[in-house]
Amino acid sequence: MFLAPAVALYVIFLIVPVVQAVRYSTYDWNGLGALSDFVGLDNYREAFGDPAFRQAMEHNGILVALSLVFQLPLALGVALLLNRRMRGRGLLRVVFFAPYVLSEAITAVIFLQLLQPDGLVDEILRGMGLGALVQLWLADLGLVFYTLFVVITWKYIGFAIILFLAGLQGVPDELHEAAAMDGASSWQSLRLVTLPLLGPTIRIWAFLTIIGSIQLFDIVWIMTLGGPAGASSTMATYMVDQGVNSYRIGYATSVAVILFAVCFVFSILYQVFVLRRDVRGGTTRMAG
Amino acid sequence: MSRAQSRAGSTAPFANVPVYVVALLLTVIVLVPIGFVVLGGFRTTGQIAADPVGLPDPWVRHNYVSVLTSSAFWRQLGNSMIVAAIATGLVVSVSAMAAYPLSRMQFRGREALFVFFTFGLLFPVAVAALPLYLLLRQLGLLESLLGVALPEAAFAIPITIIILRPFMRAIPAELEDAAAMDGCGRFGFFLLVLVPLSQPALVTVTILSVITSWNNFILPLLVLTDPSKWTLPLGVAQYSSEHSADTAAILAFTTLSMVPALLFFLAAQRRIVGGLSGAVKG
Amino acid sequence: MTIWKLLGLAALITAAATALLTTTTASAGGKEQSQTLVWWHNVTQGPGVKLYKDIAAEFQKQHPGITIKAVPLQNEQFKTKIPIALQSDSPPDVFQSWGGGGLVDQQKAGKVADLTKYVKPWIKSIGGTAAGWQVNGKQYAVPYSVGVVGFWYNKQLFKQAGIASAPKTWPQFLAAVAKLKQAGITPIAIGSKDEWPDAFYWDYLATKLCSKPVMQSSAVTYNFGNPCWTRAGEYVQRLLDAGPFQNGFLATPAQQGASSSAGLVANGKAAMELQGHWNPGVMQALTPENKVPSFLGWFPFPNVPGSKAIPGSLLGGGDGYACSWKAPQPACAQFLAYIDSPSVQRRVGSTGFGLPVRRGTENSVKDPNLRTVLKFRSTSPFIQLYLDQAYSAEIGQALNGAIAKQFAGKATPAQVVAEIQSAAKRK
Repeated sequence: MFLAPAVALYVIFLIVPVVQAVRYSTYDWNGLGALSDFVGLDNYREAFGDPAFRQAMEHNGILVALSLVFQLPLALGVALLLNRRMRGRGLLRVVFFAPYVLSEAITAVIFLQLLQPDGLVDEILRGMGLGALVQLWLADLGLVFYTLFVVITWKYIGFAIILFLAGLQGVPDELHEAAAMDGASSWQSLRLVTLPLLGPTIRIWAFLTIIGSIQLFDIVWIMTLGGPAGASSTMATYMVDQGVNSYRIGYATSVAVILFAVCFVFSILYQVFVLRRDVRGGTTRMAG
Repeated sequence: MSRAQSRAGSTAPFANVPVYVVALLLTVIVLVPIGFVVLGGFRTTGQIAADPVGLPDPWVRHNYVSVLTSSAFWRQLGNSMIVAAIATGLVVSVSAMAAYPLSRMQFRGREALFVFFTFGLLFPVAVAALPLYLLLRQLGLLESLLGVALPEAAFAIPITIIILRPFMRAIPAELEDAAAMDGCGRFGFFLLVLVPLSQPALVTVTILSVITSWNNFILPLLVLTDPSKWTLPLGVAQYSSEHSADTAAILAFTTLSMVPALLFFLAAQRRIVGGLSGAVKG
Repeated sequence: MTIWKLLGLAALITAAATALLTTTTASAGGKEQSQTLVWWHNVTQGPGVKLYKDIAAEFQKQHPGITIKAVPLQNEQFKTKIPIALQSDSPPDVFQSWGGGGLVDQQKAGKVADLTKYVKPWIKSIGGTAAGWQVNGKQYAVPYSVGVVGFWYNKQLFKQAGIASAPKTWPQFLAAVAKLKQAGITPIAIGSKDEWPDAFYWDYLATKLCSKPVMQSSAVTYNFGNPCWTRAGEYVQRLLDAGPFQNGFLATPAQQGASSSAGLVANGKAAMELQGHWNPGVMQALTPENKVPSFLGWFPFPNVPGSKAIPGSLLGGGDGYACSWKAPQPACAQFLAYIDSPSVQRRVGSTGFGLPVRRGTENSVKDPNLRTVLKFRSTSPFIQLYLDQAYSAEIGQALNGAIAKQFAGKATPAQVVAEIQSAAKRK
């Protein structure tokens, strides 16, 4: 009864179209004619055989790793900083979350301007006497993906910060006070009290970030179209390139299904090995 | 956790000065790109082409004025607001209702159902674009804002439930018992206890949903052809193709299209800060 | 409490909106009764906007009972939406068509109407340009503006580098590039981010190296065994090795903003760009004064001496309109005939909107550079349609991608041909 509306909305507008998409993925179809050329799993075979697609998958993998390694400590640090009693704290929260509020399209437009040769970034580096560091940020095949990672971090870090802040609200001050009375330093208090209690939030953030990294599309598409020569491609840009530009709808949906399968396997594993702990954690946390 | 102790005590507590320095540095990194756009709107394209870094000299208002006096901008703003309101209202109410049994009731298949909902996270809208279009056409929802809002709501259900569930689960069971003793049914408990106590989480998901809807590009692109129905992101794309050369005009339009979302966040963020304390400490 | 209010409000809005929106869609549903032509086009800016409004108004006046409902779509949006719209059961009646392989795909799927019998009385008056919009000798769409690709160059910078006249042969062209480099000028701007500008070089060199039959049959047999295809890549490689392009060209867009390739030429920061006939319009918008630069000149792609191609063969393409299978006839064909009528065609030329296809209207073009383009188009022995357009979308896209790889230093000329061939084999 409580579930009915959500299930209805969800099934009609999400599950049904997605199941349809899976059906399309077994056809060779350009989106125009009748759905008649059944090819079974050929589309999948082709995708895994295409070096361009494997390269795109590899990029998604690198992105997942980079996000976890760099964004987690950064966001956690900022959230802890903002959770302290200090002047201008409210303002800082707003500032750090601002990029998340901006659309992907706007973010891409901004950074295209900033990163163009002799643009603001280059000028600032030169102004600081670091002219030697100036690079072809988006044209260098070895660099472009890392440039995009920085932009992505700029855009999405605010979401992590807000999530962590909300999580930190759940850590009662009394615990810190108690820890301080026991002679714990701030660092100890952080390691022994805050981080464990923040665990569920961090795990949810990691889950969302990994899924987001696997699905990354808009910013890359607008800034580089996945180029040059596929150097910044992701599975999603590869999919759209095949679907929208080459009109290979059947093949593109098979890529989409692979994308889904990757996310699916990952999320099952994550549910089993990581999130399961939170079921217990949720009740013990209350006892504290 | 025991590993932590070996490192303990090696770091002095943060002193406030370095904290401010770090905060200032991060603020600059965040604000410079945004400032570039806002200030760029006050320059002419000629100024920007001549010196990409400089400040407006002289300041020109006409980029902003021409956007603010165009009826298209206001219409798109209105459409975006309608879509965001419908999508958010729907997804938050429906997901809150679903999160309640998923977090606090025991029934067969609960976890399976939760997993079923999280599946949705795994699909970007682009995957289902074509079948979704055909479905909306069958339902007569093309060229209507509702046709954008309904799928938006559907695609936002997973993340909303995922965020709400732990919050609702964290509310102590004693409250439920107490409510039951006061003669509250399940629905009463949901409306009178659960919803008010989950307020910080509800505000969070509301903000996320509004922002996601506000920035959504692909759904309105598919559903809305008639320019009078367009939302702001479509407007931005159209504007930047129409004025592709006029960088300053694009920056002005971009600035103004991000203002409403920023204002909304500004207004709403206090509620998150306001606190979870009630729910957790209670 | 606030959340309750919010939820209540949301529910209220939803209910109200549902009621509101269902009534509006219901009223929009009954548009089939009168003869209405829904016209999807991609003209959202420039002189075409007013011209199109006039065309629709005039046509309605001449044909009472037919209503034109114009739907302008931004070009990229148009390309995304058209296959989906054609798949539905109420497609647009008239829609933009670039001819070539895309039209073949639409024809095979039965989405476009055969116009042959309707256009018979007048189709000869647009000459050979009609061929690009035919499938198996039948007319499925009609062009209204056709142009050719060539070099848009800065006469002042050429003079500054000591280049006396525009290069006519490939060796002369490479010499000009070297001279510009020596003079410290960026010889060529290119928008490699978009990939299709890269393909112009390869397409053109193939057109200048391969014989006409080889080029023409390639869009039917998709056989790239002839060594001239690999040679095209080798010529491209020689150009790439000379380093003629602007710094960071791999990330440069073709048309957006002053730092795009068109913007670089328009603002005197590069000496030339290989682009289509639309380039003056693009450049104009990219200059601070909103004027076509006075230093701008045009020369056709240089010939390669000793090749099998007919000298003067050109690469080009254009815009046309198709009628969907559901469009009311003859109303739709009448509308296309009106767009190609002398009165409209003259305005296509005089407003600078395009290069008219109807014979006898060429004089309407005022811009001296576009007149040059038109002169070369009219006298060319062979105009090859852009290859990504001539081929089926899938192969055309693979071709652009493979060439872009070569520009990024990630593919050899032989690998480019192999990639195109393997995309063609899937077909």
